[in-house]
Amino acid sequence: MSDRLSLVGLAALPIAVIVASFLRIDVERLRRLAVAGAIASLVAAPVVALSPDLREFSIRTSALSYVPGGEAIIRINALSAALLPFAAGLWLLTVAVTPRAALDRRGVRRTALATLITLASFLTESAVVLLALSVASVWTFLSALSDPAHRYQRRVVAVYLGVSTVLFALGVALLVSPGAEGTAIEVAGMWLIVFAALVRKGIVPFHAWVPEVFDHGRMGPAILFNAPQVGAYITVVLIVPRASAEMLRVIAILALITAVYGAALALVQTSARRACGYLFMSQSALVMAGLDCTSVIALTGGLLVWLSAGLAFAGLARCVLMLEARRGRLNLTTYHGGYERMPLLAVSFLCMGLACTGFPGTLGFIGQELLVGGAIDAFPIMGFAVVVASALTGLAVLRMYFSLFCGRSDELAHPNLRLGLTPREAWTFVALVMTLVGLGIAPRALVDSRFAASDDILRQRQERMLKNSSERLVVRVWERRAAPVTTNAGSSN
Amino acid sequence: MTPSLPLTSLVLIGVGSPAILLVLLGVASLVNRPLPERWTGSLAAASMTMACAAFLVALAVYGTATSGTQLLSYGAWSASHAGGTAIEFLVDQLSLGFAALSTAIAGVVSAFSNRYLHRESGYNRYFVLLAMFVTGMLLVALAGNVAVLFIGWEFVGLSSALLVAFFHERPAAVSNAFRVLSVYRISDAAMLSAAVLLRHVAGTDSLSLLFGRVAPSGTGLTPTNATIIAVLLIVAVACKSALLPFSSWLPRAMEGPTPSSAVYYGSLSIHAGCFLLLRAAPLLEVTPMARLLAGGLGALTAVFAGIATRVQSDVKSSLAYASLTQVGIIVVEIAVGWYTVAFVHLVGHACFRLLQFLSAPNVLHDLHGIRDAIGNHPSTGDGHIQRVASERVRQRLFLIALERGFLDNILDRLVVAPFIRFARLLTHLDDWLCGAVLAVREPTVPEGAAHDE
Repeated sequence: MSDRLSLVGLAALPIAVIVASFLRIDVERLRRLAVAGAIASLVAAPVVALSPDLREFSIRTSALSYVPGGEAIIRINALSAALLPFAAGLWLLTVAVTPRAALDRRGVRRTALATLITLASFLTESAVVLLALSVASVWTFLSALSDPAHRYQRRVVAVYLGVSTVLFALGVALLVSPGAEGTAIEVAGMWLIVFAALVRKGIVPFHAWVPEVFDHGRMGPAILFNAPQVGAYITVVLIVPRASAEMLRVIAILALITAVYGAALALVQTSARRACGYLFMSQSALVMAGLDCTSVIALTGGLLVWLSAGLAFAGLARCVLMLEARRGRLNLTTYHGGYERMPLLAVSFLCMGLACTGFPGTLGFIGQELLVGGAIDAFPIMGFAVVVASALTGLAVLRMYFSLFCGRSDELAHPNLRLGLTPREAWTFVALVMTLVGLGIAPRALVDSRFAASDDILRQRQERMLKNSSERLVVRVWERRAAPVTTNAGSSN
Repeated sequence: MTPSLPLTSLVLIGVGSPAILLVLLGVASLVNRPLPERWTGSLAAASMTMACAAFLVALAVYGTATSGTQLLSYGAWSASHAGGTAIEFLVDQLSLGFAALSTAIAGVVSAFSNRYLHRESGYNRYFVLLAMFVTGMLLVALAGNVAVLFIGWEFVGLSSALLVAFFHERPAAVSNAFRVLSVYRISDAAMLSAAVLLRHVAGTDSLSLLFGRVAPSGTGLTPTNATIIAVLLIVAVACKSALLPFSSWLPRAMEGPTPSSAVYYGSLSIHAGCFLLLRAAPLLEVTPMARLLAGGLGALTAVFAGIATRVQSDVKSSLAYASLTQVGIIVVEIAVGWYTVAFVHLVGHACFRLLQFLSAPNVLHDLHGIRDAIGNHPSTGDGHIQRVASERVRQRLFLIALERGFLDNILDRLVVAPFIRFARLLTHLDDWLCGAVLAVREPTVPEGAAHDE
């Protein structure tokens, strides 16, 4: 019973913050309420995820699909077990460290709404519900770019994500249409969903909106929209169980190209924000590459990189935003110095950057190790691509670190000016780094849970393949039986 | 053969001591509450002493009880399923000897640094990085599988680059650290590529295949695959040990504090590559092409570094090139199969060069005293090159040595510049793609838009 209360609470907390944002509460108090709500959801999420009672919990309906047996519009399984705390953690990171001036009433509301949408997405496997949530999340993201200063970026995002949403809608329509299962209609629907996911995740050649929105758009909403990687979730839930091996191979190849491309371009950027955009592309593509392997080890690696890259990248990008709040826009062609004034921010930036690169002792290392190890047999080139991407990402991160925190003493700011972090910001970053390093040093429980999730996903895929092939076999037998009759009839005519 | 319990425990204590030190100092550093200097120094000394004692006893236990290489397995680390990383150490006289040497040298440097960096603002950071380095060196020395080797290799590389940038308010130190890191990343990539290939063709990441005395020919590796893996390992070694054509980072790495230069570029890190080659001797024996390559690189490096060291204007760079000369010779010894000679040479050179690096500031001080006393530089007399080479040849050699073989220029022109040009072109293409969607050029956000979240 208390577990179910936790589930209700998990959904109710962001809703409460949204409701509170419409009341006449002081913005700072609202923000404190949001932090408290995020902490409570971070506590509730593992309870929900680890509850044995809720593990079997699902609400299924046939109303949204012609798929026999219907679809689960809400369910908790091994996959969502780690994604719920992940989404709650991202919410806490956002409301705890976003500079006060950048998080107004609407900002608090938007972050709560985005979190609610993400949590709901991670709790469903219904294509129609995912489509509705995807539309809502794109709308939330676009509303963050509604001010005139960002109208051009809004247009770029609207075009790219609009196309993605339309493709997704068409794909879902084909997928859930009557009699589509196992037919060419389902394959066509799958391809449309694949392209929708590629655009949403910024996979080459559909990527141009990502660096643009990070560089000239609003980076905070961009982090919150991208870091949970709902596109990866769509891939796992809708694509991996249904797609053919060739389809998965195409996605993996594009993802690997993106991983190397993003890392290489992050290395030469002159703007810190744009470098973050390319780094995100690279990290997110690595996740996609892992998810599209049909090996349980590689899939586990992909699921782990999803968590580590999401948290580490969000933390890294938040560090850049905090620096910007102190110094204005940052370019990487010069050294900014200031390590001695902001040691915790510098160390946090470095640790989160290293977690992005898969440095040993962080969760990223475990994920990449499994990704490479699992993919080698099925797809050897993936191993080399991950190696190159990781090497380039490491260089890009260290270049950013050296440029943003080293190279000169911080003479620009007045010595009495406090540049360090507030206690809330400091503890949030310390907790995030501890999580990434702690899970990197003692990863077993998390890795085992991701193995269970991968097993589930691949079992679903095998069952579906088996079902389709047996149906095809029955059809073929029917055709064979029918063929002589037709031939005889034809010949007799 | 089943490994004895004392040996297993001793090796765990040896590796665990600096690892625990790393965690302790690292957490204190992260929360910005560094331990007092006295505590840090004492903890570092205790940790290194304990590790060194553990390895010396392990060496004695190993020598009396067993012979041949032993694989110590500490079970699965990352997962209880197949495919997870296991903690495995490959133990023999070579690995235990190198581990004992590493901890002994690190102990000496730790004691020296405790006084040398007294009240330095980065004192705690230095010891965090030193602990990371020692942990990394021990993992490289004892690695039983690719994952453990790679963890050690990465720890050594990152700590090295961050110590080059130890005086982080100096732009030169930071830009040189980035150069060093760039070469190390090539090394990491080569090492991991070798691991990927090994896993693909042999289906395992156990290093007993390459480093054990089991001939690789009996393990499913074809000669071509074995050669490719060996060449990738040689590239990794060449980057880490500054062999040609990757030597240009070595003088740049001298920006760090003297004790770190001593332990990295005088004694341990620069020999890590040689040690890896020694470990991979069984693989080299079945790949003559790779042996030839290693020998050639070693010989060329020894000659180049021998010339370059003569024209360096600062003592640390001069000592670094002198180290490189010996490293080149050690690589040649490994390539021709003189493994015992190479190991003895490595140990002797590491200790000798450590002493030279650590005493260099005092020697300089004494030299200045002598110069002040006699009013001139002490005479060094004519060298060998003056006697055997003509003036023209000497001038050319001088130019090459002074410009450090033009290696930086070559690397910049052939690799860095084309890469940057190409990547910038792709960036413009992305911009253009957005412009095509917008149909107008977007205005840039004004400078100082701090709250443009």
